[in-house]
Amino acid sequence: MDFFKKTFDPVISLAIIAVLNIFLFLTVGAWTVGGGETMMTGLIAEFFLGDELARIPFWDLVFKPDAGYWKIYISLGMLFGALVGALMSKEFYWRVPKHLSEWVMITIGGLLMGIGIRLAFVCNVSTFFGLTPQMNLGGYLSITGIIAGAWVGSLIYKKVLEG
Amino acid sequence: MSVVGQCLAAFIFGSAVGFLVQRSRFCNTAALRDAMLFKTYRNTKALLVTMMILTVGFTTFMTFGDGVPLQFDVGINQVIGLFLFGIGMVLAGACTVSTWVKAGEGNVGAIWALLFTFIGMFLFSLVWSYTYWPPASATMTGEPNLAGLQFGFANAATLQEETGIPALFFGLIQTAVLYAIYQAILRKERRIAEQHAPVSQPVAAARTVLESKS
Repeated sequence: MDFFKKTFDPVISLAIIAVLNIFLFLTVGAWTVGGGETMMTGLIAEFFLGDELARIPFWDLVFKPDAGYWKIYISLGMLFGALVGALMSKEFYWRVPKHLSEWVMITIGGLLMGIGIRLAFVCNVSTFFGLTPQMNLGGYLSITGIIAGAWVGSLIYKKVLEG
Repeated sequence: MSVVGQCLAAFIFGSAVGFLVQRSRFCNTAALRDAMLFKTYRNTKALLVTMMILTVGFTTFMTFGDGVPLQFDVGINQVIGLFLFGIGMVLAGACTVSTWVKAGEGNVGAIWALLFTFIGMFLFSLVWSYTYWPPASATMTGEPNLAGLQFGFANAATLQEETGIPALFFGLIQTAVLYAIYQAILRKERRIAEQHAPVSQPVAAARTVLESKS
């Protein structure tokens, strides 16, 4: 199908997402990813540690593992939607980073994202598509932080690419 | 709404997002990184348009007390956390959305990034269990808590409560600011385009005539 051959316009695609996000805001809450990922971490940890996990206060007080937490299903939905999109446009294939430097950067980057989300209690999605549009002052603080971080990250990224 | 209903709504929303993001190649990381590193603004413009629509949408419903706003207190931890996150997302080449989307495309690097995001979260959960900082949603009071570097709760709805002016009014001001940034980017793009393709005198003259007509 021709429809799946060309790339969608990002502005139109994101505008559709914005409208859907307003509907979600009216029913359960605005689009967010970090909370669902934390709950998944908790569920995975519970799978390995069992009841021992409850001895770590964070998993007892803040995020009690619960498979019925709606935010998890946004993440799973995104995985599913992207898989469908990639298969229909024949863009699905296994991509493996080739260089050791890429693996190191992804590892450090992943760790920093995880720590950052938990420290801030928000992720980039709730910053740009939740807090700031709701004019939560924390959103402005978060945007300041993420722009400064992206700038420092870009400097490091450039150094690694060139060196 | 029942738990199953919530999860179903979330899954349907997520599927639509995953599909649209995959097909449009939108990336939040690229929106910031490309603007800084390569001076290209394809994703940045999409991000700004989304934020404008959301600001009008959210503040309209918040004016009438509808919707479920995020209940997070304002705190210094948000600046530090998102700073670390910002470094991380550029290094990993993906944010929280694009890790899931790229994982769906078969990107092993993105799956690896997700794995280490989970590990990072677990590591910080251990730190939190010692420090009990930053305050979690359950212990956020909505009041300033300077010892915890928290400044209380403030969003469009609280602005409306305090000033008596509808939240939508403030939303429209924010939308205007976002629109000004969007226009500044368009101007910058035109400048870059002119530098890269210096047009000869007659063509430039013809273009100004055309532009003034349209």
